[in-house]
Amino acid sequence: MGAGAEVLWMVPAAVFAPLAGGVAAAFSGSWPEARRRALLAVVSVVTLVLAGSVLARVTAGDDMSVRLVKMTPQVWIHLRVDALGALYGAAAAGLWLLALVYSFGYMADEHRLSRYYAFFMLSLAWTVGVAYSGNLLTFLVFYELFSILTYPLVVHEETPEALAAGTKYIVYILIGGSLVLLAIVYTYFLAGGQDIGAPLFDASVPRSQLLVVFWCFLAGFGVKAALVPLHGWVPDAHPAAPAPFSAVLSGMMVATGTFGIMRVVFNVFGVRLLAELGVMRVVAGLAAFTVVFAAVLAMHQDDIKRRLAYSTISQMGYVTLGIALLDPLAATGAIVHVANHAFMKGALFFCAGLIIKRMGVRSVSELAGAAKRMPVTAAAFALTSLAMIGTPPLAGFVSKWYLGLGILESGQVAYIAVLIGGALLAGVYLLPIVYRMYFREPAPIAAGSPLAESGSSEAPATMLMPLAAAVLLTVALGLCTTPSWSPLQIAKAAAEGFFR
Amino acid sequence: MHGESETYTSLLPIVSVALPLAAAAAVPVLGRIRAGLRNAFVVGVTAAALIVVAALVPAVAEHHRVEAHVPGLMGGLSFAVDSFSLLFALFAAFVWFASTLYSLDYLAHEHKHDRYHVTNLVALASMLGVVMAADLVTLYLFFEALGLVAFLFVIHTETDDAKRAAVKYFWMTVIGGFALFGGIMLTFALGGTGALAPLPAEGAAWLRWTAAALLVLGFGVKAGMQPVHVWLPDAHPVAPSPASALLSGVMIKAGAYGIFRTVTALFRPEVAEHLEEHAWAFSSQLGMVVLWIGIFTMSTGVCMALLQSNAKRMLAYHSVSQMGFILAGIGAAGYLGAHGAMGIAGGLFHVLNHALFKACLFLGVGAVYVRTHSLDMYHLGGLWKRMPVTFALMTIAAAGITGVPLFNGFVSKCLIHHAIVEAWELHEVAALGIAEKIYIVTCGGTACSFIKLIGLVFLGKEKTEYGPEVREAPARMLAAMGLLAAAIVTLGVRPQIVIRGIFEPGLHLWGLHPDILEEYLSDYFLSRGDISSVVVAFAIGATVFTVGMKTGLFHAHLPNWVSIDWWYGKAVRALWRVTELIARAYERYLRFVSESLEDVRDAYERVRVRVERTYRRAIAVATAGVAERDAQRAIARAEVVLDVERHEEVRTAVDRAIATLASAGVVDEAEWRESVEAVRESAAYVAHRLFAVRMAAVQDAVRQGHARAVLERIEGLVADTIPARDRVAAAAIAAAADRRAGRDVARRLAAAANAAASEERFDLKLRALARRTAVPGERLVAGAEGAPVQALRGLEQAAGAVGRRAAAGSVTWGRWFADMVRLAVDALVRERAGRVFDTASSEESVLATRRAITRYARDMSFNVAVVAGMLLVFVAALARSR
Repeated sequence: MGAGAEVLWMVPAAVFAPLAGGVAAAFSGSWPEARRRALLAVVSVVTLVLAGSVLARVTAGDDMSVRLVKMTPQVWIHLRVDALGALYGAAAAGLWLLALVYSFGYMADEHRLSRYYAFFMLSLAWTVGVAYSGNLLTFLVFYELFSILTYPLVVHEETPEALAAGTKYIVYILIGGSLVLLAIVYTYFLAGGQDIGAPLFDASVPRSQLLVVFWCFLAGFGVKAALVPLHGWVPDAHPAAPAPFSAVLSGMMVATGTFGIMRVVFNVFGVRLLAELGVMRVVAGLAAFTVVFAAVLAMHQDDIKRRLAYSTISQMGYVTLGIALLDPLAATGAIVHVANHAFMKGALFFCAGLIIKRMGVRSVSELAGAAKRMPVTAAAFALTSLAMIGTPPLAGFVSKWYLGLGILESGQVAYIAVLIGGALLAGVYLLPIVYRMYFREPAPIAAGSPLAESGSSEAPATMLMPLAAAVLLTVALGLCTTPSWSPLQIAKAAAEGFFR
Repeated sequence: MHGESETYTSLLPIVSVALPLAAAAAVPVLGRIRAGLRNAFVVGVTAAALIVVAALVPAVAEHHRVEAHVPGLMGGLSFAVDSFSLLFALFAAFVWFASTLYSLDYLAHEHKHDRYHVTNLVALASMLGVVMAADLVTLYLFFEALGLVAFLFVIHTETDDAKRAAVKYFWMTVIGGFALFGGIMLTFALGGTGALAPLPAEGAAWLRWTAAALLVLGFGVKAGMQPVHVWLPDAHPVAPSPASALLSGVMIKAGAYGIFRTVTALFRPEVAEHLEEHAWAFSSQLGMVVLWIGIFTMSTGVCMALLQSNAKRMLAYHSVSQMGFILAGIGAAGYLGAHGAMGIAGGLFHVLNHALFKACLFLGVGAVYVRTHSLDMYHLGGLWKRMPVTFALMTIAAAGITGVPLFNGFVSKCLIHHAIVEAWELHEVAALGIAEKIYIVTCGGTACSFIKLIGLVFLGKEKTEYGPEVREAPARMLAAMGLLAAAIVTLGVRPQIVIRGIFEPGLHLWGLHPDILEEYLSDYFLSRGDISSVVVAFAIGATVFTVGMKTGLFHAHLPNWVSIDWWYGKAVRALWRVTELIARAYERYLRFVSESLEDVRDAYERVRVRVERTYRRAIAVATAGVAERDAQRAIARAEVVLDVERHEEVRTAVDRAIATLASAGVVDEAEWRESVEAVRESAAYVAHRLFAVRMAAVQDAVRQGHARAVLERIEGLVADTIPARDRVAAAAIAAAADRRAGRDVARRLAAAANAAASEERFDLKLRALARRTAVPGERLVAGAEGAPVQALRGLEQAAGAVGRRAAAGSVTWGRWFADMVRLAVDALVRERAGRVFDTASSEESVLATRRAITRYARDMSFNVAVVAGMLLVFVAALARSR
C-alpha cells in the first residue's frame, strides 16, 4: 500500500529538521542561551514527532519511500522506511531529545557550546538518515557522515585523554568505514544498486565472493558494534566524552553497528543464504565471547563510565548474538534490545554524569553513601541496573526473554548459558555500585566543598527530568509489550518480515 | 486435570495481589502524617488481604480452579487458584497478618519503619503472586520480586552482620533466579507452553534432566535446600524477628511451592495417561532425587541446629531441616507417581504447619529478645516466671515442631513417614529403608533441639540478674503469637479440616487417588504405631540432650572444610581471582599493543629518514660521479673561487681598456663601446680557458684524494694567481684591435691562455700543496671508483650533511642577503647597469645561488625521470597483461 504524497514529506523532514537545527546551532555562538535552548528543544521535539509519525505510518502498513538526489542514472540517494528503520529512528529521536535536555543542565558551564550543539544535532540527523536509508549508497553516506562527524563530540573536552581517545576512535572508525565502503562497492559490483528490501544476493553468486563481502561487512560494522576483537575504541571514548554524548554514544551509536549487521544479514544476504553459507555460527560464537569477555572486564573497572562502556560492549554482544542465531524470535529479541538498551544505558550514563558532575567522583570505590546525597539519582541507577540485568518486569527482561526463546528455537541451547551468564555478570558489575551507594557509610565531607553547605548534592530538576523520563521508559518498555505500537510488537513484525 | 469444564474467572486473585502493592505506595505518605495511622493501615491491609484470600475458599471449593488474567507483560499475567495455591495463599496471608501485628511493637527499637512496612506489603503481594500464578512467567516475575524485596528485610538493621548476610543472600537469590530463568526457558524447549501443566513427554532426556535440575535448584535456593541453603542460617537470624518469622515461615515456602509444582505438575504425565506405569518413569526418578535431597537436608540441618547457641540461628537451621521434611514428602510423592497422595499431603501439610509453628517460635524468641536483648540460649534461663504467656505459646509451638500428638506437626510428620514407608514398600529399595531410619533419628534431633530451647531459655535458673524491664511481652505481640498457637492446636486436633477440605479435592483434580488419606484418618491418626514412633523420637532426643549437655558436644566446632559455605567462599574468591587475572592480562596485552605500535611508528620514522638520505645520496652519485662529501665540497668550493677569479680577470682587462680609452681621449660612444666589448670578449675567452685548465687540475687533485687540502688551501692558491690577471688583460687588449678589425684571434688568444697556464703551473702548485698536507691513508681511496662503497659507508655521517650541505662551499644566509642587497643597490646606481650586471657579477653569493639552482634542477629532473620510468614500466606491464 503506497502512502499518499501528503505524508511522504515526513521522511526527509525527520532527517533535515535536526540537520537544520545543527546548522543553526553552529551559528548560535552569540545568541542568548535561552534562545538556543528553545530552538534546539523545538527542533528535537519536532524530530521526535516526525519519527513517531513515520513509525505509526509504517506499522500501519504504509510504504514510505522518497527519492532525493540522483547520483548516477541507476543510483539515487533514496530514503525508504521499513519497520526496523522506523523503530530505530524513533528510538534515536527519543534518546537524543532526552540527552539534549540533559545537556542543557550538564553542559551549562562547558566551553564551545555552539560547536557541541551543532554536532550533537547533526549526529541525530545522520542517525535518522542511517535508519531511513533506502539503499546501500544512502546508507553509506549517512553512516560515514555519522561516524566521522561525531569526532568533535568525542574530543569535546579537549583534555589530552580526550584527544588520545578521539584519535583512537577515528582510526578505528575509519578502518571500519573503509571496510564497509569496500563491501558496499563489492555488493554493487555483484548485485547492482537495488533498494533495501528483499535480499540482494541469491545463490547464483559464487560462494567465495559472498564470503569476502560478508566478512568485509562484518568487520566493518563490527568495529562500530564493538564486537570483541574490534571493540578497542569504546572503553576509551566513553569516559572521555561528555556524559550526554556518552549516553547517545552507548545507547544508539554503538547500536548503529548492530543495525548495519541487521541490514547485512536480513536485507543484503537474507536469512536463507546465510544459513547456507554457515558463517553465522562463527558470528554467534564471537558474539557470545563478546558478551562474557566484556562483562568480565567490566567487573574490574573502577571508572564508572568505563565500566558502563564495557557493559555496552557486552550488551551489544547480545544483539549480535540475537541476529546471528537466524531465528525470528531471537531477531525480535535483538531488535527490541536495541531500543531497550538505548534507554537503559542512557539512564545509566545520565546517572554517571550526575555523579561525576555533582559529587566530583568518577570511581566506583568513592561512591559509598551516594544515595544519601543524591537519592533520586541513586534510585534511578538501582532501578535501571535491575532492568539491565533482566529483572522482570523491566525492559531488559523482555529482550532477554525473547533472546532465550530464540536460542531454544534455533536449537543452539548452549547459548542459554551465555545469556544467563552475561546477565549474572551484569549483576556482578552493576549491583555492587548500587550496594555501595545505599549501604556503605559515606566518606566525611571535606569542609568548604559545596556539599558541606547544603548536605545534598542532588542535581537540579532540568537534569533529573530526562533521567526520570528514561527510567520511566525503561519500566514502560517492560510493562507495555502487547499493544501493537509497543517496540516489541513492531520488532516482532519486522523480524517476521525478514524471515518470511 | 479433569478441568475440561468451563473456567471460572474471578477478580479476587488480582485484588489480593494488587491491594498490598497499591497500599505499599501509600505507606510513606501515611508514615509522614502519623506513625499510628500508618500502623493501623498496614495491619488493616494485611487483614484485608487475608479476607480476600479467604473469600476465594467457597469459589475454589465449588469450581476447583479460579482464574484471572491481567493483560500486559509477555501476553499478560495469569493467575489460577486451585486447592494447593489456596492453601499456600491462606497460610501466607494468615502468618503475614500475625507478623505485621507483632511488628508494630517489635520495631520500636528499630529504625526506618516506613521501609520495613513497604517491604512487608510488597513481599506479601509477591508471595501471593507466586502461589497464585497460573504460568511460569508470572511465577518467575513474582518469585524474583519476592527474592529481591526480601533483601531489604535481611539488611534492615544495617549492622555489619546484617550487611554481610544480606549480600550473601542477595547473590544466592540472583543466582537462583537465573537458574530458574534457565529452567523455565528449557521447559519451553521441551515443548511447554509456560503453563503449570504437564510438559509433553517428548524431548531429549538430558534436556529434561537439565531443565528439572535448574528448576529444582532455582526454587531450592529460596527453599533453603541443601547444598544451596548457606544464605539461610545467616540471613534469617539477622532480620528483625517479625521478618524472620516471614522469611522462615512463609517466604521459603515459595521455593517449596515451586519444587512441588515442578515435581508433581510439570514433569508428571498428562492426567489422561496417568495409568500407564512407564509414563511416570521420569517423575519417579526425579522424585527419588528430591526425596534424597530432602533426607540429606533434614539430617544435616538438624545436626547444625544442635551446635548453635544463638536461638534464632538455631531456628534458622531448623528451617533448613524442616524444609528437608517437606522435600522428602514431595519427593516420595513424585516417586510414588499416581499413588503419591500421602507424600503430597504430608509435604504440603508440613508446609502449612511449619509456617505456623516456625513463625510462632521466631516471634517468641523475638519477644524474649525485646525484653532481654539477648539471643544466646546458654545465657538465658528461668524466664517462665517473668514471661508465662510467651512460655506457654512457645511450648505449644515447640510441641508442634517436635510432633507431639494432638499438635499439628504430629500429623504431617506421620504422613511423610507413611509416605516414605510406602515408597520403600513399592520396590523394597534398601536405601529407602535407611532413609526411614534417618527420618526417625532426625525427628529425635528435632525433639532434642527444642527440649534444649525451652529448657535453657524458659526453665532452669536465671543466669543473669534481670531488672523489672524483663516482663511479659506487649499484648499485641502476644495476640499475634496466640493466633498462631491457636491454629497449631486446632490443626493438631482436627487435621480433617485441611485433609478433607483441601487435599482430597486438590488431589482429585490432579488425578491422584485421595482414598489413602481417608484410610489414614480412620486407621492411623493417633494410632498406637504412630504415637510410639514419636515416643522413640523423643527418647532419642532426650538421650542426645543429656549426652550433649554433659559432654559439651553442643559446643563442638566443626572444621572449616566440612562447611559447604567455606567451599563456596573459596570458589567465589577463586573465580573472582580468575576474572581479575583475565582483566589484568588484557590490560597488559593492551599496553603491549600500544607500545608495539609506538615502536613500529618509531621504526618507520627511522627507516623513512634513512631511505630518504640513501635516495639523495644515490642521486648525487648518479649525477656527479663523486659521492664523497669532502670531494664534492672541494670541487664546489674550487669552482666558486675559480669562477670569481675568472670574472676578476675579465674585469681587470675591461678596467684597463677603459682606462686606456679615457687617457686616449676617446669620446665617441660607439667607438668606446666597441673597443670595450672587444676587450671583454677576448678576456672572457682567455679567462675561460684558464678556468678550465685550473678546474681540471683541481679535479685531478681531488680524485687523487687531496680534497681536504684543496678545500683548505684553494683560496690562498687562487690568490697566488693574481699575476695571471695582468697577462689576461695584456693579451686581451693586444688582441682587441685585431678583433675589431674582424680578424680571427682565437688561435692567438688560445696561445696566450696556454702561455699563462704554463707560466703559473697551477697543477704543480696544487700537487705541492697536497704533498705538504699530511693525508690519512684511507682518504686516498676516496676516488670516483670507490664512490659507491664510500657512499654506503658514509650513510651514517651523511645524517648531518643534508643540513650542512647548503652552507658547504658556499655562503651563509646573512652574507648572501647582504650581497644581494648590495648588488641590487649597485645595479640601480651604476651607470649602464643592465649591461654590466648580467655578466660581470663575480660575487660569491650570486655564483653560489646559481650553483644551488643548478643542483636543484638536476635533482628534480632525476626525480621526474624516475617517476617517468616507473610509469613506463607500469604501462608496459599493463600492456602485457592485456
